[in-house]
Amino acid sequence: MILTLLANLRRALGPWALLLLLPSLLTLSACAPDPDAAAQVRVQVEPGELVFHPDTPPIRVTILNEGQRPVPVQGFRISGNDWASFSIVEPLNPRMVMPGRTMSFTIAADAPTFQGTAVSSVVQSEADAAELDPEAYRDGQAVLELNVAGQSRTVPLRFEDPSWIVTTLLPGVLKVLLLVMGFIMPLASLLLWQERKQSAMMQDRVGPNMARITLGGITIRLWGLLHIATDGLKMFFKEDFIPRRAHRALYTLAPVMALMPALVVFAIVPFGDALCYEHLLDVVRQADVDQCAAGRGGTPLQVAHIDIGLLFYFAIASLATWGATLAGWASYNKWAILGALRASAQMVSYEVAIGLTIVGALLVYGTLEPHALVHAQLNTSWGILLQPVAFILFFTAAIAETKRAPFDLPEGESEILGYFVEYSGMRFGLFFLAEFIEVVFVSALVTTLFLGGWALPLDMFGASGFAAPWVAQLFFALAGVAIAATGIAVWRASKHAQFVGATMLGLGVLHICLAIYSAFTGWGTELPHLIVVLVGMLTWGIKVFALCWLQLLIRWTLPRFRYDQLMSLGWKGLLPLSLANIAITAVVVYALSAAGSIPPAPAPGEETASTANQPGAAP
Amino acid sequence: MTITVKKVSLQRTAADQIFLPAILRGLVTTARHFFKNTLTQGMGDVDTIRYGEPDVHVEDYYPERFRGVHRLMHRDDGSVRCVACMCCSTVCPARCIYIHAEDRGGDEEKAPKSFVIDELKCVVCGFCVEACPCDAIRMDTKRHMHPTETRADAVLGKLDLMKRGTASVAKQGGVGADYRSTDPKADPRFDHDPR
Repeated sequence: MILTLLANLRRALGPWALLLLLPSLLTLSACAPDPDAAAQVRVQVEPGELVFHPDTPPIRVTILNEGQRPVPVQGFRISGNDWASFSIVEPLNPRMVMPGRTMSFTIAADAPTFQGTAVSSVVQSEADAAELDPEAYRDGQAVLELNVAGQSRTVPLRFEDPSWIVTTLLPGVLKVLLLVMGFIMPLASLLLWQERKQSAMMQDRVGPNMARITLGGITIRLWGLLHIATDGLKMFFKEDFIPRRAHRALYTLAPVMALMPALVVFAIVPFGDALCYEHLLDVVRQADVDQCAAGRGGTPLQVAHIDIGLLFYFAIASLATWGATLAGWASYNKWAILGALRASAQMVSYEVAIGLTIVGALLVYGTLEPHALVHAQLNTSWGILLQPVAFILFFTAAIAETKRAPFDLPEGESEILGYFVEYSGMRFGLFFLAEFIEVVFVSALVTTLFLGGWALPLDMFGASGFAAPWVAQLFFALAGVAIAATGIAVWRASKHAQFVGATMLGLGVLHICLAIYSAFTGWGTELPHLIVVLVGMLTWGIKVFALCWLQLLIRWTLPRFRYDQLMSLGWKGLLPLSLANIAITAVVVYALSAAGSIPPAPAPGEETASTANQPGAAP
Repeated sequence: MTITVKKVSLQRTAADQIFLPAILRGLVTTARHFFKNTLTQGMGDVDTIRYGEPDVHVEDYYPERFRGVHRLMHRDDGSVRCVACMCCSTVCPARCIYIHAEDRGGDEEKAPKSFVIDELKCVVCGFCVEACPCDAIRMDTKRHMHPTETRADAVLGKLDLMKRGTASVAKQGGVGADYRSTDPKADPRFDHDPR
């Protein structure tokens, strides 16, 4: 398959195929060793800034020796305005940190000392003292000083008590807007067009290409993308119609009940690690990002932090059943009722399979919270490698749950009446949109559970940038060549695609220039936090989009299941296989943990997710 | 008489039972079509003819023997080649050709005074073209008869039919018995015989 693809690409590229020689030249230049690495003292103190909230448990500070020589660390001192409110929990002696090892200690903040007027450093006069609320916390600051190999290092300490609006509500609203309006809705609308265009490209047809806007003398067609708008307009202008004896309230409620779970369930999807407000242009480390993910000094890139996140998904996804059933029953149409029965029976059957498949992932990673699941994958291995059977079962069951082909018999379309036969116009449009939003959601959930979320494969890209300069060079070189080659192929494909092709070619050349720049200067391992966050979100977006493409490919390749085949696949195929998956996974996990290969899962009170696997961490 | 039952096994392997290898092969096939059609020139394998688009000329897609509206060819002096021999109107199965003959004047051949084809009756069979001995009538205009508002507009007279006609490459009076040795392609006006 790869050979045919390469042959097609070579035929499409023509004389530009020599472009593919570039990465080999670039990787040769990256092989020069760094002569003075041995003598450098490189010590990192994580996190770079400690932020305490009133109910924060003691935070662990880690000193990591990345150099080649042992480094003495001594002289721990807390100074600053509120030095008395912070304390180092374990008494420390000056000691040496071996190369490649870490040393850690915890810092605690005494919250009651910030309450009321207990510490008088901020209270300027008696008048101010009278206005302070005795229950309110004020902000505090201090500095932790250490002496590392003769150099003094400082870690700022900060205590604050931001209101619920600043920590949860405002970031939540902004994340919802970004995720829903910025990603889900555009992607679901794009899928509407992509479904028709991709199916046409797969079936050697042209697809929709006629919707156009004529401005002056210029006609803009955009390969049929305007059909999205025209379809929406068409649905709005259709007659709003309720069957004479239909239950009016339930008939109107059903599309809402189909759309609402599809959107609400996105609350648990993590589309990035975390965003630190104060350090957007600085280079941050993973411990800083974990602190921001806990809500101190930043916000996790996930709309809601629910510890039982996946159970939340099951609960809300079950509501989607109700939308389909209600639609059929409220239509007062016997065939619609039968379609609703088919739909609800199918959805309920496959929910069982989904639930049991996720138990396998739960056993391996030890957590139901999606953000922590992605971190667990980054610490061990992606879900698709550790649980390949669960991936296939889950993907199949999720496609069946959302009633996409080849499991779309309830809606039928070409052969049988479905449950929304009495719906027309925008009421039907809501069902349609809900189905595409569920396609996006299934892709997002599979990315989170099995494909490592927002991370690049093989640990290429961490919280501060690429793992090593050569990784950055190789990545940019290969990505640049791939994008440039596709751009050239698109440019040569048709006269109208030249602009798109030229843009892609420009992006590819930019990537290659970055690779060359990195080859000369070793750039790439220390990137500003904002760039890292954007790369994470972009990676997540690309993975979700690729899975949506895969779902459309599956839809237009496979023939539809007959209803009895569908039910027997769910109950006699997926259910026993997922139970077997759970049993085998449990046995393997128990055997490996008894043998000591897998460390025990972190206790729920642990602050940072990365402490469990570091050598030399204090127990 | 005993009935023998021959059991034929389904010959289904474990891989067949899972269906996944076959599904993957199918997905690879459709993905190959997808990439070929999106990325190669002229949209790969897509053979759709885009009728109605501004730069698509349907005449390019018609086969060479396509039969369209009739046309009457001219002689070198601009007069109509037709000698009113009535072969075409005789052979027409739809009886849609009506010819009145007249004297050509100066030549022993006749000429049609009126040559009317009722395109509404025409079944586009091409017999008239095969029957004509003079290469006077052709149907190679590469156009359909367009819809008209009234029936009368579809009845085409001699001048309408001659409008699309050009000088024929046929030699008046014939070439002679050795006509095969004369290369028909040498004449640049010869535009419809693919041999």
